[in-house]
Amino acid sequence: MPEVTINWYLALSAVLFTIGALGVLGRRNALIIFMSIELMLNAANLAFVALARHLGDLNGQIFVFFVMTVAAAEVAVGLALIVAIFRTKASINIDEINILKG
Amino acid sequence: MNVYGFAPLLLIFPAIGVLFNALLGHRFVRPDPEAAHNDAAGEKWSGWVASVMALASFTVAVGLFFALIGNDFHMGTVPLFDWIRIPSADFNVPWAMQVDTLSVTMMLVVAGVGSVIHIYAIGYMHGDKGFARFFAYMNLFLFFMLILVSANNYLMLFVGWEGVGLCSYLLIGFWFDEVDEEGKAVNANAARKAFVVNRIGDFAVIVAMILLFWTLGSLEFESVFSSAVELFEEGQRFTILGQSVTIGGVLAVVTTLFLIGAAGKSAQIPLYVWLPDAMAGPTPVSALIHAATMVTSGIYLIARSNVLYEIVRVVAEEGSVWLASPTLVAYVGAATALLAGIIAFTRFDIKKVLAYSTVSQLGFMIAAVGMGAYVAGMFHLVTHAFFKALLFLSAGSVIHGVEHGHHHLGHDDREEEAHEEAHEEAHEEAHGEEAFDPQDMRVMGGLRRRMPTTYWVYLIGALALSGIFPLAGFWSKDEILAHANQHNVGVYILLTLAAICTAFYMGRQIKLVFFGEPRHEAAEHAVESPPIMTTPLIILAALAVVGGALNLPFLTAGMAEAAHNHPEGIFLALEGWLEHSLAAFELSEEGIVNLPLIEPPALKPLVAGLSLLFAVGSFVLAFYVVYGRRPETAEERDPMRDVPVIGPAIWAFAVLPLNTLFMDYVVPAFNRAADWLAHAVDWTFWHDFVHDNVIRDVFVGFANFTSDVLDKKGLDGALVEGTAYLTRYLAEGIRLTQTGYVRNYALGLFLGVVALLAYFLLMAG
Repeated sequence: MPEVTINWYLALSAVLFTIGALGVLGRRNALIIFMSIELMLNAANLAFVALARHLGDLNGQIFVFFVMTVAAAEVAVGLALIVAIFRTKASINIDEINILKG
Repeated sequence: MNVYGFAPLLLIFPAIGVLFNALLGHRFVRPDPEAAHNDAAGEKWSGWVASVMALASFTVAVGLFFALIGNDFHMGTVPLFDWIRIPSADFNVPWAMQVDTLSVTMMLVVAGVGSVIHIYAIGYMHGDKGFARFFAYMNLFLFFMLILVSANNYLMLFVGWEGVGLCSYLLIGFWFDEVDEEGKAVNANAARKAFVVNRIGDFAVIVAMILLFWTLGSLEFESVFSSAVELFEEGQRFTILGQSVTIGGVLAVVTTLFLIGAAGKSAQIPLYVWLPDAMAGPTPVSALIHAATMVTSGIYLIARSNVLYEIVRVVAEEGSVWLASPTLVAYVGAATALLAGIIAFTRFDIKKVLAYSTVSQLGFMIAAVGMGAYVAGMFHLVTHAFFKALLFLSAGSVIHGVEHGHHHLGHDDREEEAHEEAHEEAHEEAHGEEAFDPQDMRVMGGLRRRMPTTYWVYLIGALALSGIFPLAGFWSKDEILAHANQHNVGVYILLTLAAICTAFYMGRQIKLVFFGEPRHEAAEHAVESPPIMTTPLIILAALAVVGGALNLPFLTAGMAEAAHNHPEGIFLALEGWLEHSLAAFELSEEGIVNLPLIEPPALKPLVAGLSLLFAVGSFVLAFYVVYGRRPETAEERDPMRDVPVIGPAIWAFAVLPLNTLFMDYVVPAFNRAADWLAHAVDWTFWHDFVHDNVIRDVFVGFANFTSDVLDKKGLDGALVEGTAYLTRYLAEGIRLTQTGYVRNYALGLFLGVVALLAYFLLMAG
């Protein structure tokens, strides 16, 4: 069984980030997009903790707490917005939310 | 420190007087529409302020006189300010006053006689509705005349020259609304005639100044004279109109042009015709402007330019220049003296006789300066200013008295009060009854009993003018005759004949005005003038008596000797006094040399005795023989006409066609030329071409350019609309990026982050 090195963690983080980014760019469902954003944030968190462990620096670990806090706040606001939009448009397809089109 | 620093006050005082009477005068002299007479209490202010300003000016002139003595007669210049300055042409005309013995002599005469006449005029002009205007003009005249005599360059002199011409015009036409029986505005016409005739002379002066500047490069007296002498010694030649001429030739032309200018201003042949008409002005004006001061400015101009005339005299004697302008000057003067003297025989208007007499005496002066006897000319100028001003003012007093006599009889007293109001009436009346002219000597006679003071001063003036020993006129006229006797026999004969005429017409005038029986009721009821008029007369009479002391021949000779022995000594006789301003030249082996001056004139017993004999004889002839008992009535024919041969000859002279020539040919030609110029040059060229084509088209073109091109295309088009168009164009492009699809924005974000990361990675690497 091969040894799990820092590269494995970073590679997993990159894969998760890529999946998240593609989800944000490619999907229309607002909830899915939110989930993809969460995926990207957590990919970043994984990179943080892995590197903190690898480098023996606690700053990375602390930073993860901040990111999780921000993510929680963002989801709270974001879900509230989606609920509000759904009430007016009866849809959460973001392609239909285009009234600011130039 | 300039001891003459106070000289500008000379000009400032009359200027204050002008401003006072021009701006405030009407507040003091308010023509009352009810009474026709103005407010007599306020008149005093207007008249006395003007007179005090004239007196103040005279005080300054006296101050300058003593400053000159204290400064050993050295000429001084008082610069006031820069006037015209063209550095590229090296042309610089300052506004500066020249204080030397010649200019101070003129200042004393102008301001002194002027002051006396101002005071007289307060009485003479009493009740005139234009009282304040009159004194404003009089002070303006003093102002310009003092500029003329105090100038230190020809251009400033010319300003004064034109200024006094303007004042002469304004004052001759002072009663411009008066019309004769035919409805012609006689006074205004006389003013115009004077102005037009003077134009000819003024034009000549302008041309002379241009020539002087062209050749000598300056207009200031000092540098003109010094460079004229210098260039003459170097034998410099100039090319003018393709001709190569010497400086002598140029100066001969310049001095001849000056003679024409002097002929205009000083009323010499052929331009004298304006002066007799100028008597249309009020009598104080005739005394001040047309007898004592302005008409002498021609003599002053020639005396001032003495250096130029002397150079021409030298080259003319050499024979290198045919135009002997000094001799021409002498002959013009002498001929005028005789001609005007003869014409004076035939006049009945008391002022016209004096006017022709003035022309004649000016001829004496011009003849004197033409012969190089500048001092004699200036001497006669001064004494003539005394006795001719006296004669005019006395004539004014006579006219005043006769007018009062006329009002006293036959016309109710209301008219006497309502002098101006009666104006219209008087014209109506002129058609109906006999026309009464208070200036006509035929209606006078016997006035010596009614107007004793006026009679005595008039007699003194007449005897002085006739050249009776020992009055002023004897000495000055005799000095001129002595010089003529010595230098030029032709001029001497002409002048002696003129002197005989002078005595004759003055004898005739005294007889007609003051002796015999009154020939009209007006003369019977004439009244003596008020003291404000007679006091100036007495002052002038005293001057006419003692004026000869200025330059007594033996006194002069003795003083000259004393001054040679004591160079510091006071040497005030006119001869020595003016010597400091007048140069005399002679061409010797080593070029031109400065002579002290023509020798002080010794009294020539023969010449003096002869002229005295002629004068007395002629006066007596007129008084006792020709006009002995006649005329006794106003209608009677002048007895002179009945004298065989001479009488008709004189009357032939009187209608000498010179005046007719002017009025029939010169003036209409002038008018036609002026009309043509007005139409062709002024109207066609100036208005049509210059205004329409040049000024208007350029203006319209420019306006079109600014409105169509600059405003519409530039400001509106490029700047305003351009900004709007650009903004809109950019907005059209940029708004396409706002798709409304969140994914697009997210992609943009993503790509931005990628770009930033790539940047940092690559830069870091």
